[in-house]
Amino acid sequence: MINRRQLLAGGGSALLFGNLLRRKSRRAYADHEGERAQRLIVFYFPDGIVGASQSGEPSWWHAYSEGGGVGLPAQLASLEPYKNRCVFFRGLSMGGTDAGSHPGGARKLLTGVDGGNGMSIDRYLASTVGADRPYRHINLGAMANHNGASGDKHISYPSAGVSAPPEDNPAAAFSNLFGDVQPGTGGGTGEPSAKARRRLTAIDFAKGDLERLRSDLDDREQAKLSLHLEAFREVELRLGGMGGGGGSTGTDCSMPYVNLDGVDQGLLYDPARFPAILRAQTDVMVQAMACGLSRVGVIQGSHHTSELIMSRFEGTEMYDPGFDMRSHQASHYGASHDLGHREFRDYVAQRTWWAEQFSYLLQELDARPEGDGSMLDHSLVLLCSEVSDGNTHSHDDMPFILAGGGGGTIRTGQLWQSGYHRHGDMLAALAHAMGEPVGGWGQNSGGPLPGLLV
Amino acid sequence: MAFWAAVAVGLAAAALAASSCSTSDAEPKGYDYRSEGALLYAEQCQVCHGEAGQGGLAVALVDGDYDATALSDVITATMPKNEPERCVGECADLVADFIVEGLRTEELACQSIAPSPRRLRLLTRREYGNTVADLLQGLAPQGCEVAMDCGFRQRCEAQLCEQEVCNQHSFVFDAGSRTPSSVHIAGSFNGWPASAAQGGLALQSAANGLWVGRFEIPEGNHTYKIVVDDSEWLTDPRALERSPDGFGGENSVLALSCDGGNGFDPARAFPPEVRPDGFAFETHADSALVNASALDAQLDAADVVGADAASRMLAEPGCQRDDACAQDFIRRFAERGFRRALTDGETAGLLALVQDAESFEEGLRTVAQAVLISPSFLYRSELGTKDGGVYPLTAYERATALSYTLWGTMPDSELWALAESGELVDSEVFAAQARRLLDDSRSRPSVESFASQWLGAEAIRTVDKNANLFPGLDEELRRDMLSETRRFVSNVIFEGTGALQELFTADYSVASPRLAAHYGLSADTEGRMSYANGNRSGILGHASILGTTAHSDQTSPIRRGLFVRRRLLCQELPPPPPFAGGVPEVDANATTRERFAMHTSNEVCAGCHKLIDGVGFGFEQFDAVGRYRENEAGKSIDASGTITDLEALGMGTTENYSSIPELASKIGHSEAAASCFVRQYFRFARGYREGLADRCAREWLEERFSEREFDVKELLIDMVLSPDFVVRQ
Repeated sequence: MINRRQLLAGGGSALLFGNLLRRKSRRAYADHEGERAQRLIVFYFPDGIVGASQSGEPSWWHAYSEGGGVGLPAQLASLEPYKNRCVFFRGLSMGGTDAGSHPGGARKLLTGVDGGNGMSIDRYLASTVGADRPYRHINLGAMANHNGASGDKHISYPSAGVSAPPEDNPAAAFSNLFGDVQPGTGGGTGEPSAKARRRLTAIDFAKGDLERLRSDLDDREQAKLSLHLEAFREVELRLGGMGGGGGSTGTDCSMPYVNLDGVDQGLLYDPARFPAILRAQTDVMVQAMACGLSRVGVIQGSHHTSELIMSRFEGTEMYDPGFDMRSHQASHYGASHDLGHREFRDYVAQRTWWAEQFSYLLQELDARPEGDGSMLDHSLVLLCSEVSDGNTHSHDDMPFILAGGGGGTIRTGQLWQSGYHRHGDMLAALAHAMGEPVGGWGQNSGGPLPGLLV
Repeated sequence: MAFWAAVAVGLAAAALAASSCSTSDAEPKGYDYRSEGALLYAEQCQVCHGEAGQGGLAVALVDGDYDATALSDVITATMPKNEPERCVGECADLVADFIVEGLRTEELACQSIAPSPRRLRLLTRREYGNTVADLLQGLAPQGCEVAMDCGFRQRCEAQLCEQEVCNQHSFVFDAGSRTPSSVHIAGSFNGWPASAAQGGLALQSAANGLWVGRFEIPEGNHTYKIVVDDSEWLTDPRALERSPDGFGGENSVLALSCDGGNGFDPARAFPPEVRPDGFAFETHADSALVNASALDAQLDAADVVGADAASRMLAEPGCQRDDACAQDFIRRFAERGFRRALTDGETAGLLALVQDAESFEEGLRTVAQAVLISPSFLYRSELGTKDGGVYPLTAYERATALSYTLWGTMPDSELWALAESGELVDSEVFAAQARRLLDDSRSRPSVESFASQWLGAEAIRTVDKNANLFPGLDEELRRDMLSETRRFVSNVIFEGTGALQELFTADYSVASPRLAAHYGLSADTEGRMSYANGNRSGILGHASILGTTAHSDQTSPIRRGLFVRRRLLCQELPPPPPFAGGVPEVDANATTRERFAMHTSNEVCAGCHKLIDGVGFGFEQFDAVGRYRENEAGKSIDASGTITDLEALGMGTTENYSSIPELASKIGHSEAAASCFVRQYFRFARGYREGLADRCAREWLEERFSEREFDVKELLIDMVLSPDFVVRQ
């Protein structure tokens, strides 16, 4: 049993650097010296998948064994080209708390802690192994803040109990990321500009103000200011001339460019534009990663219990201008996998579409050389949703798919099924692969998932 | 301290008289309702067992004769219902201890009002924008000859730079030594025309190679370029923001909004506020964190504001670009920005920033930037200074709390002077200032902001609607819908009776001609629109609410019912169980009510849905965009319903109604709605969700609200006069 208040009682540092269940093991760190995943990208989609139905029919999403190899269901056909560079999981559970709930699942998804009362793995890695990059964390969304969506609708938790809203505007994300930094130089960029110098001076003053204010505060307010201080440090390093760590990816970062066709900043919440926005955000993420601006990113497509009208996606199987089929509406397809039901047919088409968007991300990463292979070979790319089957809202047999070789740290091309494990074990393994060997992640986590790391 | 003690004693008497006095002889021990167990109970048990254990959807726990160990075992094995894994071991022990020790009538009885927790409260985007505008206002107005001398969203009027009107913009292009034969503006607002003849906004040639033009542009976020001689597409160097144009270059960004005031909103690119777990307001203090992306946005804003501030200061006739001018700037920008006296060290530090800079102007910009990203500016301090066991707020903090609560911005000169002199600590002075602020027109936008967040009306701007079914619903009409709710609420409060009930029972609203036509009604020149046909009533007739609580293509009795339960009555319901069905398909032969009938015919669902649907069905005469209708699927709509447990869940009461005006009247006159309104305003003003620890403050407010015949203005005054407003723990 762990909860927010107990974490707070542990002091601000517990909030900042992960939860109390985590213990470092330096030995494991040494084991992976030299082989590291360069980056972690989490790709989230809402409202689960076609899992085991209420009436007991098997999942349409999960991979299966086939002739000693991995077989993919039709839903995942778009991942066929990357099958050998993926790990398909069976049996990962997020535990029983709030099972049956979308928000409960979203809170546990990356924190591994009930109620989201812990930092999420992406933020932890951003603040540790990612701290030497200009942007410790890149949090992008596509309509993730629609209609004021907030709190449990967002999956990335910089602090126990508090999620962070993603940037929904690809144009703003692009200019934020590429506005201040001269990427791709792999080191200092010479003298900071007048603007950067002014900012550095201002930050220096503000840090002093923060330190003065920080004395004489209780743990909760201290933790607030500790995160604020981390923000000052991150921006300070970036302005101080830290360049991107790119160059090894063979990407030309002197003229960063992202195609924004179909994206209108005035129409960021028009469902018909969603596919274009998501694609642009994917491009921004890949570009930023290729230029070494960050090691950790999240792409959040919509949010749980999504009102996204996917029947407005032109040129897809789902398209029907005469009928509004929303993501969450389709997810309640009924007790069985019945293609005679409109909700179910649409739900199948929607989930297939999400897998295709994930496949596009993999394709873009694979198209860029890095080291002895492609960016994909050196990345960890995690596909996830907050529940398993959309109708039962189960938190068992979660639909995670991990892609990328993690720089040689991951045993890819496998169907992982070794009985019941908490998903925190898998998240812990990702931390190991990134060079940050945590003892476990979240509640009831026994350590990195066996059989996943090389 | 004298003030605190005196009020506390007075209140204790009032609160005791008001609350249900314990008949028990047991002495209260002073249970700490901010304890771990109390918080866990609120998180996991309250929704069914009631905030104070009074019961509701599950048995009452208050004054139960429980053994803590046995109770802990029961919790471990069976609670919360449907997920016993959630609270076991230590959690169960803590909750059991709370139930046994805290949920006792004698403990819950109010002896005095407990102080609130000490907090730092990050300025919301609205507060940041208002504060920056006030700070700039406090500097000299900037002189100009032409618009080029002024900021991007300003125009030059009588040799002074003035903020441009919210839906107009003054474009200026400096052609330098070139002599173009035409210059026009092409953008997302006019379809990117290739020439003025095709609809481009033509600029006129003026002196010194400048090309100028002032145009009305619709509100919204636009991108544009300056086109020279119909062939050369240029980025406007004056624009504060740019975005990639998709061709490797950049568009200029022009964001116009008439909602949050007039002109440039420096906080526009800040991350949205986090509103956890159904907290309706952007003020949630514990969720307001500054991370690097927020800091980046703050730095961008500070660049723009800092340049503006420096140029205003330099335009001051007395400024000799010396230390005296710098000190003046520090006093007017830094000290007012920090909302407290600066220490000598701070003043010296800021002065050194000016002295060490490459130029005087650069120095002022640096000072402004340093101030604008400093925690002392960004957070409202509600920390106080220790005095015995409590932390009374300083005079400066009191001024800040008062000003942000009622105006959403920093203290004005009068309030500031009273903070500087310390007089504001006097309760009478404080009360007089509260009254002055409320009576000033600047309190209106704050009340409107509260209303639009409380009612969730803002979402009407973005909520999806099917364009085939509702072709007339464009951006302008959506804006009018939000505006109706804002204006109506402030009209009732400041010009009407001011009574809460009028918000529910008014037979009029305030609407634009287009919105009135949308309703099939008409508005007079002042915008007053009578609900002539008697179908609507107060806020329950507003399209902003009827629209956001509906789906894109159909109504939603569930959402509308939940809206009433959660937002208007503060009654929380547990989440639906797994396997809950979705929205029944639209059926041309059935009304919505018929389609949703399963909820109440299925026993598992009925427990909660009788509470939800019985209310939601009453709104069926209003379609998904708030228009009145009498028929659906060829059948006449039954708009009658029942409201079960109006005053509190679990009471078992049922009241029937046959129309929305009747339902609105029942809600508006209920104690639950008045109590809920107090809770909602408390959340908005204090930045956290009230808990048992705040029960005495809440009861006192509710009692006073009732005594003052539910006059909302008086509630706002009491909200800041409540002793826990100025004392922390």
